[in-house]
Amino acid sequence: MSALDGWRKEARAWLASVAPRFGKAARHRLDEAADLALGRAYLAARYDAGFAGIHWPVEVGGRGLSPLHKLVFEAEELPFAMPSGYFGVSLGMPVPVLIRFASDRAWARERAIAALRGEEIWCQLFSEPAGGSDLAGLRTRAEFGDGGWRLNGQKLWTTWAQHADYGVIVARSDPALPKHKGLTYFWLDMRSPGVTVRPIRLADGTHHVNEVFFDEVLVPDSQRLSPVDGGFGVAMATLMIERYAGGDSAGFGPPLELFIETARGCIVNDRPALEDGRVRAAIARAYAARAGLDAIQQRAMRMMAEGMEPGPEGSLGKLVAVRSRQRLSELALDLMGSAGLAWHLDATTRDDWAKSWLDAPTGRIAGGADEMLLNTIAERILGLPQDHRPDKGVPFNQIPA
Amino acid sequence: MSILHDEAQTLIGTEARRVLEAHTRREVLLGLLEAGGAYDRGVWQAAIEQGWTAIAVPELYGGLGLGLIEEGIVAQAMGRAPAGVPFLTGGDGIIAALAASLHADLQARWLPGLASGQIIGAVTLTTGPAPLPGRPEVRFRDGVLSGTAQAVVGGAHADIALLWVVDEHGPALAFAELAGVRREAVASFDNSRGHAHLHFAETPGVLLAEGQDAFTLARTILARAAVLTAHEQLGGAEELLAIGRDYALTRKAFGQPIGAFQSVKHRLAELYVLIEIARANCIHAAARAGHSDFIRAAAAARLSATEAYDTAARDVVQIHGGIGVTWETGLHLHMRRARSLAIEQGNMLFWEDLLAKELTGTGA
Repeated sequence: MSALDGWRKEARAWLASVAPRFGKAARHRLDEAADLALGRAYLAARYDAGFAGIHWPVEVGGRGLSPLHKLVFEAEELPFAMPSGYFGVSLGMPVPVLIRFASDRAWARERAIAALRGEEIWCQLFSEPAGGSDLAGLRTRAEFGDGGWRLNGQKLWTTWAQHADYGVIVARSDPALPKHKGLTYFWLDMRSPGVTVRPIRLADGTHHVNEVFFDEVLVPDSQRLSPVDGGFGVAMATLMIERYAGGDSAGFGPPLELFIETARGCIVNDRPALEDGRVRAAIARAYAARAGLDAIQQRAMRMMAEGMEPGPEGSLGKLVAVRSRQRLSELALDLMGSAGLAWHLDATTRDDWAKSWLDAPTGRIAGGADEMLLNTIAERILGLPQDHRPDKGVPFNQIPA
Repeated sequence: MSILHDEAQTLIGTEARRVLEAHTRREVLLGLLEAGGAYDRGVWQAAIEQGWTAIAVPELYGGLGLGLIEEGIVAQAMGRAPAGVPFLTGGDGIIAALAASLHADLQARWLPGLASGQIIGAVTLTTGPAPLPGRPEVRFRDGVLSGTAQAVVGGAHADIALLWVVDEHGPALAFAELAGVRREAVASFDNSRGHAHLHFAETPGVLLAEGQDAFTLARTILARAAVLTAHEQLGGAEELLAIGRDYALTRKAFGQPIGAFQSVKHRLAELYVLIEIARANCIHAAARAGHSDFIRAAAAARLSATEAYDTAARDVVQIHGGIGVTWETGLHLHMRRARSLAIEQGNMLFWEDLLAKELTGTGA
């Protein structure tokens, strides 16, 4: 572990040195355009300092280090609240897919470096009105003809599409095949004629997801990243690529320490709230859950360091952490009483209970709804039968709508 | 820092499971429920032969000189069985108390017997309604003990005890031989635990620690017991999950295995989640013995393992339907054990408050 400890120290020192330029205080009250510009500057600095593409191959501009190095850096980076969120999807899934599946290596390297430096942003066009948890139910058509493929249809929940230069997309190339079989995977320029991005405002007032419409959008066959009708496999590989993503036992909400500080200023039955048994139980239970998730993560990192494959329990973090965050946020607001009603639009999910609470449902839906995660545990880990699926093996165009 | 078990530790676990599977019979466990003051002598003999009693005893006194990690691994296998023998946790408490004391004579007199399993130890830190009470019911004065320790685990069979007592200065830790003590067996719902009231009447005892030292040592020993018990609870929960899963795959209703229904799948998946949280906390806590964060790690293990075992007992019986509540099927052995283990080392209210005090600095 000593090499990793050295890496951790290096990372921490660099992050601390640039925190005044890019960190939480520097971002205070910036509008989105200014914050995004700051984010691009941060990514360029991060690339120049050698903390970008940490576990990517050197040939595509990465550092060629282990996934552990990446996890360590991310854990160190998190508390600084750097403006890196705009690039999370881009660097998490689409660009690693290019690195793995694009046949033009020089081009892939160019894109990877531009993405690592924050100069270009990629989005992932997967979900649709008819295909969220049931991704393979998607209906956007890709028809082959003169000059390549014509895309028609609509994507939904596309994160940061409003800032994206490029996207990766899965579309239906043959509706006469069963639903998983007739899909093909492409990349495309988001400025192509016929692409329209429309904002979706979420319950917490923010805008980071979008609807994206495709009207006769031409995509050359050279931009195909999977075999024709073999796109589902690449889409699944995309999801697997992120198995080294770090979790957060606070569910990307406030740390337990903030709850304790909030409760310290509150009163229950004319006594300090921290003396109330219900509040104490909530603190103890939240700690036990978070400590367990932290220990799972530490154990997984140990296993990776030993060259072992971490166990499947690494997949349950989001399920536990976000639910814990949701309940704790509710209780924090309740404890604050009427003071808890205040709504600060520029607050973050990590330092404000109302923001954390309003945004919590998103965490239980995005990236695998709780119900899907439970199904995955039941089927993949416990070996229980798949749900009854009436559309299984049926040609897509014969499935009752 | 969480740890990975090394090869030797993994082997202890595999071997413990194998030995306990070979020696545990459901008919025997069911019989013990109705036999007053009995325990599973076959399993205890196996525990002795396997050296489980010697794990935490220093080598100087005939022990293996290992620690909480190895004891935890064995406790997990005991919980899975679920073994009809309640002595290993109490043994660890006395071993730790004697090792921490400056009484070389007591160490030389008792540690070899504890290591060999010829001596059975019990601990009374959590007897009565509240663990570590400010006014313990057993008094220590002029070298003798009087008063009653209620429903002590293993008290019906123990040779020696570590006692939470009150002397002229306040709560203290004392040690006593139980040869002359009147025992009143408790017919409990988990009868093989050997619960008994211990009535002390002018019983000779030795003071081990007083004042703040007594509290600190008592909390450490209680935390060790909590970690071992959490391992037992974890083992029981794992076994129930395996039983529930197997039943869900074989039992059919409405033309398919009941495990194909989401109401059943999700119950089992949620249980898996609770078990993995508990497992991570157990492994972590066992490795933190002796560190400043041991109490909070032990509390987290205790809370999450209790939740996992309780949920397992509730939900796996539920998944079985009517057959789950029959005497012969024996799921109630785990139900009973889940409850007795939840009570024995301090209930959840106690551990929640203890952990909250650690985290906030504020008492209830």
